[in-house]
Amino acid sequence: MSALAKTSILTEEGGNQCRKRSLPSSEQCNKRSKTDDMSANEKKSNFSLLNPNNGTIKTNTSSMNKPGAATKKLIIKNFKSKPNLPENYQETTWSKLREAVIAIQTSKAIAYSLEELYQAVENMCSHKMASQLYVNLTNLVEAHVKANIEQFLSESMDRQVFLKRMDDCWRAHCRQMIMIRSIFLYLDRTYVLQNPSIHSIWDMGLDLFRHHIAMNTLVQTRTVDGLLLLIERERGGDAVDISLLKSLLRMLSDLQIYQKAFENKFLQATERLYAAEGQRLMRELAVPQYLAHVEKRLREENERLLHYLDPSTKWQLIHTVERQLLSEHLSGILSKGLETLMDGPRLSDLTTLYNLFSRVKDGLNELCNHFNAYIKKKGRTIVIEPERDKTMVAELLEFKEQLDHIVNTCFQRNDKFLYSMREAFEFFINQRQNKPAELIAKFVDVKLRAGNKEATEEELERLLDKIMVLFRFIHGKDVFEAFYKKDLAKRLLVGKSASVDAEKSMLSKLKQECGGGFTCKLEGMFKDMELSKDINITYKQHLTAMKEGGGLELSVYILTMGFWPTYAPVEVRLPIELTRHQDHFTKFYLAKHSGRKLQWQATLGHCVLRANFTQGNKELQVSLFQALVLLLFNDGDNLSFEEIKTATNIEEGELRRTLQSLACGKARVLTKAPRGREVDDTDHFSFNADFTNKLFRIKINQIQMKETSEEQKATEERVFQDRQYQIDAAIVRVMKMRKALSHNLLISELYNQLKFPVKPADLKKRIESLIDRDYMERDKDNPNQYNYVA
Amino acid sequence: MSGEDCDVDRGDNDGQKSDKMFTLKKWNAVAMWSWDVECDTCAICRVQVMDACLRCQGESKKDSYGKQDCVVVWGECNHSFHFCCMSLWVKQNNRCPLCQQEWSIQRMGK
Repeated sequence: MSALAKTSILTEEGGNQCRKRSLPSSEQCNKRSKTDDMSANEKKSNFSLLNPNNGTIKTNTSSMNKPGAATKKLIIKNFKSKPNLPENYQETTWSKLREAVIAIQTSKAIAYSLEELYQAVENMCSHKMASQLYVNLTNLVEAHVKANIEQFLSESMDRQVFLKRMDDCWRAHCRQMIMIRSIFLYLDRTYVLQNPSIHSIWDMGLDLFRHHIAMNTLVQTRTVDGLLLLIERERGGDAVDISLLKSLLRMLSDLQIYQKAFENKFLQATERLYAAEGQRLMRELAVPQYLAHVEKRLREENERLLHYLDPSTKWQLIHTVERQLLSEHLSGILSKGLETLMDGPRLSDLTTLYNLFSRVKDGLNELCNHFNAYIKKKGRTIVIEPERDKTMVAELLEFKEQLDHIVNTCFQRNDKFLYSMREAFEFFINQRQNKPAELIAKFVDVKLRAGNKEATEEELERLLDKIMVLFRFIHGKDVFEAFYKKDLAKRLLVGKSASVDAEKSMLSKLKQECGGGFTCKLEGMFKDMELSKDINITYKQHLTAMKEGGGLELSVYILTMGFWPTYAPVEVRLPIELTRHQDHFTKFYLAKHSGRKLQWQATLGHCVLRANFTQGNKELQVSLFQALVLLLFNDGDNLSFEEIKTATNIEEGELRRTLQSLACGKARVLTKAPRGREVDDTDHFSFNADFTNKLFRIKINQIQMKETSEEQKATEERVFQDRQYQIDAAIVRVMKMRKALSHNLLISELYNQLKFPVKPADLKKRIESLIDRDYMERDKDNPNQYNYVA
Repeated sequence: MSGEDCDVDRGDNDGQKSDKMFTLKKWNAVAMWSWDVECDTCAICRVQVMDACLRCQGESKKDSYGKQDCVVVWGECNHSFHFCCMSLWVKQNNRCPLCQQEWSIQRMGK
């Protein structure tokens, strides 16, 4: 709307010009309508073109002062004649201004007051001299800038001096332009603003500076090279003039040639520098030092960004550093240093490693892969060597704990790493079949056995939890079960279990992990123990009621066949008294439980014997076999090996070990002739009446059959037997469902179903066996095809 | 016996047996029980009678000692089966699946 406003007033040159800012608009409109008739000759005033945003509207001040405006109509008339300017007003004023500008440019005192100059500019603008004024000013500035370039073109010049001079020149230019702009502010605000194609005075200054100095190829190269040199020196650790750098880089950004002239070259230089540095330091430094160095470099570059570089460079700069120092060397760093870091474990270095690697693309993937490979490699060495079997489980637990700690503290619990760790454990633990499962079972046995006082309940509980983690990785869980069951049986029968709570807790963990089917037999064993207790109580009551018993106290563990490990039945000759007790109990039991039969397990029996020695009575805790042998000496003083063998009917090897324990062990209640560690067929034995011992109750340990070989083989054998049935069952299940199936498909389905490792050859054998037993048949036309036989 | 007359400070309450060098005081024996059957496999479900029958194994979640409830039954013909299996069988056919004799229970395991 103000474009229509024709109201204007010419101010006297240099006079007391009064600037009234935006009147209340109503009044303004009012006035406009009154002055509508004003002739177009006033249109010359370029105020009518005032930018609406400017909000500066010149009005007749006199009209404001009329108090009677409300009642009386106010008529404003134009001047009768145009005010005249003095002759050559333009020239004189300009020469005044020119003088001032040159004074500024040469850093001399200005002869006129600034206010005077400002008004001169304003007046010139008002008199349509703005464009001429602008051109003059531009020429003046351009001449000055042009003159300035000379100092930068001289042939040999120290770079430092050059940069300094450039900086000085730039600062002077800025200072001057600010001053000039202040004086020519009116020009800037009016003429320039109304002509979008014209640069503001400041921009004009920049433009000229850019055009004449900065874009000069020689100057620009010198400047940029100088800057790069400075930065390189600073990166090298020298102290440089940061403010100079900052100022010149600001100059480049202000001139808008930062990106074009500097940034690319800078990034290239950065890339070159760090590429070389990365190569060199990777060779020279150990990985932790290298990582620390990279971290330091990144920190420094960030500071550089803060201190003098343009923030727009940030992403590219950091990216370049990361690429040259990290991305290029990912696998180098990992293969060179991960192992030592992990072995340490050097937690802070690993944290640094993780943090650095998470910055670059694929860094964490690469780290995770190497982490995985490290676990597999290290784990394999723990698992694979038979010499380390004794400590395998403890080592595995420690290894796992250490890795957990690393993942939690250094790798921020990254899921990818957790998953990878699990995968690696599962992989390496099954590298050696069966043995880890067996050893884990035995490890648990040791921990659960009585006399193991090294841990409190809570510690034991925590340990069991950790073991369960290992157990989870094992493929052949049946092997674990077999060994665990065997050891559990021993603990229960000998009363060696440390705590029922711990046993139950372990059992519930297994149940949780593998389901009720896995543990129902183990639970059955506990149930048997409880039932046996009850039976023994009722049996005792039964004996008292029958007025029998006395002397020998018999208690029997009744085990359910199938729940317990199978023990080979052994026939031995019992003394009449024992047979009588045994029969009596059998009769009692079968009367209570019809349809059952009992099989006595002589190998598992234990006895307490009272022995009369010259030095006093002792109580001997012995196995049934040891007791049988000792009881023979009630009737004969000196017995040969053969005689004992016939009398007891104990299997020869077993008897040899039994005699060894009695005559060659720690507590020698028998004397062997001739002396020696081994028992020969021709040896004779006699009662050692002079036996002494501090203790009253003496436990004579049985000499264990080499458990590690035979018994263990038997257990394994049994596991494999069971596996055969499972394979059979799986084959029949699959065939029953599919009716007809090719060999390969059948095999792959079986691998999906079977939870333990099997060789294809074993599967083939089972298939043959099932064909023999008419569960399935080969297709008549296609020998690779099987058909289910209902 | 040389040792017999020596000073015995404890455990000498069994005067009449002290002429023996060794006296058995306590015997912890171990015995395994199983069903007294001629054929250890149930002809109906083809599972060993010592184990729970297939049905009970499948429902083992109800009772982890499921086997205690899955007893064996003997017919007059002396053939034995899981009681669970047999009680389903006789609903269809009241004859022993092995010998076709009229099925009547001789005894049940417990």
